[in-house]
Amino acid sequence: MIKITVKLIGPLINLAGFSEKTLEFPAETTVEEVLAALPIDPQRPKIVTRNGQAVAPGEKLKDGDRLAISPIYSGG
Amino acid sequence: MKGWTGHILRIDLTTRTHKIETFGEEFAHKWVGGRGFALKVLWDELRPGIDPLGPENKLIIAVGPIAGVPAPNTGKTVVAAKSPLTGGFGDGNLGTRATEHLRKAGYDAIIFEGQSDKPIYIYIEDDKVQYFPAEDIWGKGTYDTHDYLYKIYGKGVGVLSIGQGGENLNRYAMIRSLEGRAGGRPGIGAVMGSKKLKAIVIKGSKPIPVADPEGMRKLGIEDLRKVGEINKQTGWSIQSTTGVLSWCNEVAALPVHNMRQTHHPDAWKIDGERLNNARIATYGCPNCTMRCGIAIRDHEGHESELDYENIGTLGSNLDIFELDQVGSLNYLCDDYGLDTISAGDTLAFYADAIEQGAIKGDFRFGDAEMAKKLLGMAARRQGEIGNLLADGTMRMSRAIGHGSEAYAMHVKGLEISAYNCKFCPGMALAFATCPLGGHHKDSWVITFEIKQTKRDSYGPEKAAKVIELQRIRGGLFEFIVACRFPWIELGWPLDHYPEYFNRVTGLNWSLDDFWKISDRIYALMKFFWVREFPDWDRTRDYPPMIWFDPSNADKDGPIAGQVLELDKFNQLLDHYYNQRGWDQRGIPTRKTAEALDLKDEMAEVEKYTKLE
Repeated sequence: MIKITVKLIGPLINLAGFSEKTLEFPAETTVEEVLAALPIDPQRPKIVTRNGQAVAPGEKLKDGDRLAISPIYSGG
Repeated sequence: MKGWTGHILRIDLTTRTHKIETFGEEFAHKWVGGRGFALKVLWDELRPGIDPLGPENKLIIAVGPIAGVPAPNTGKTVVAAKSPLTGGFGDGNLGTRATEHLRKAGYDAIIFEGQSDKPIYIYIEDDKVQYFPAEDIWGKGTYDTHDYLYKIYGKGVGVLSIGQGGENLNRYAMIRSLEGRAGGRPGIGAVMGSKKLKAIVIKGSKPIPVADPEGMRKLGIEDLRKVGEINKQTGWSIQSTTGVLSWCNEVAALPVHNMRQTHHPDAWKIDGERLNNARIATYGCPNCTMRCGIAIRDHEGHESELDYENIGTLGSNLDIFELDQVGSLNYLCDDYGLDTISAGDTLAFYADAIEQGAIKGDFRFGDAEMAKKLLGMAARRQGEIGNLLADGTMRMSRAIGHGSEAYAMHVKGLEISAYNCKFCPGMALAFATCPLGGHHKDSWVITFEIKQTKRDSYGPEKAAKVIELQRIRGGLFEFIVACRFPWIELGWPLDHYPEYFNRVTGLNWSLDDFWKISDRIYALMKFFWVREFPDWDRTRDYPPMIWFDPSNADKDGPIAGQVLELDKFNQLLDHYYNQRGWDQRGIPTRKTAEALDLKDEMAEVEKYTKLE
């Protein structure tokens, strides 16, 4: 198992019921598998970063990774 | 001509006289409204080199054809003038009841010229224009000013006012409307103050000219409902724009410590989640479907309405991570009528200059109480420090010297919004090419850059995206005059906007028709700058040099060790200029200007510089 810290941003917090949480997943879990485990509409436009860098859905995660999931913003 | 009133109200504040002028289809179709109208009037009527705070400058209030019409987020008005902060073209938009009232009074724009000898406010009701002494409110903040005027005219009127900042010619003073609503970052409030015009009250009673009133009403009301429903489903208004703070902190783009740092472990203390939890009220503009203004109780107990730019520039960029104190600074800016972005950046620069030993002073990062005092001094130009702060970052750095120009965080004199681009080439290009200076308004490309490109790319795809967004955000939404949020935040398709436009005007335009107008406006905005600064070269389009300084690289985090590279940034500028049809100085070529129907304007600008 690997530990992934999931950081949610904006209204995604209210959908998932948490803002930041460290979750356990099987080794070699991909980004899209983590997303699928969350109660967030897969069709919803969003930006996902891994340790602050853009990440592809099929990318495999490593123990200790931080995954930030945000809706699309246009600035204040 | 449907869709436009065809009238511009011209008010001479020196003589306290006014006249109603007319315009025809050619002007309306070429410049549409809002930013387009304001720019064309300023271009035609201002002599280059005038003092922006003198009687020769003109203050323009302009709306667009769909402004005030019941449709999603059409409550905005553009305010514009030659900027006292940058010396170039300056404008901004703000949500206000004045939008609908201006159109119902029978005008698409107001031109204020001259300078009153005493403080006044103006009441406009349809064809009637009255001038009143403003001694009772001169010296007061915008909250008291609005209350004073509401007591006289009722709360339903449109009010645009300035605070002490505009009165005392603070160069980043804004114009205020409703709770927390303000516009005109490049010192448009100071221009209003220079004319001794404390407030404008507008009440209109005529119908807005609409080609298909019944069709527009049905469509608009239905779409207001639909956009409101999407907002509810997505939950966007739960944090509104303030969710951006957490995202910027994650991707190392948050302004911290005068943008020397890009992320901070305490950022969560002022994030959207905390803000939503502290919410006591929510505010929006007229015809808004997704109210973005989250009000909290500030440290002194005032109601303070915040968005992302406020918490980024008055919070993290000053190392202030107490939400109620950020609320206090924001409240003071609103009351004094100061731009929160420029005010925050200017204070951050001052703290940085002290820290670097470039100037002596007591202000330190994180000191909210001192920041409040300094804002008051800047708004009133009290003492040497107040005067220094009131002139903004660019002039401060020139006065201070000792290398401080390198970390004066502005572009063309306008302080940079709350995105730290030390390693975001695309967003740095967006700031660099914004026609106002360091503003995020025209092209917010950072999410595209992070999500869909390689962050270290300086390729043509980033220039193309900046231009695409400028056409939509800085063009379309600024000349038809509507808020961009339903489109970008909720995915409301752009196709709706020509539909509203066509119902209102009776025309049959497509989005492609709008893009040429956007490009025309961008070319003329650049001509405006070039006419003011005939020695124009591309260095005026550069972001602050500290973003290219390897010693300024982050020590840890996602972009550790990385900064922008100047030679590559020049390549990115080349891509931008080439795609726009501008020369290597960043000036539209003759061929481009001709294609955009700018022959007369080209002849005028060629009095000052030769076009390629």
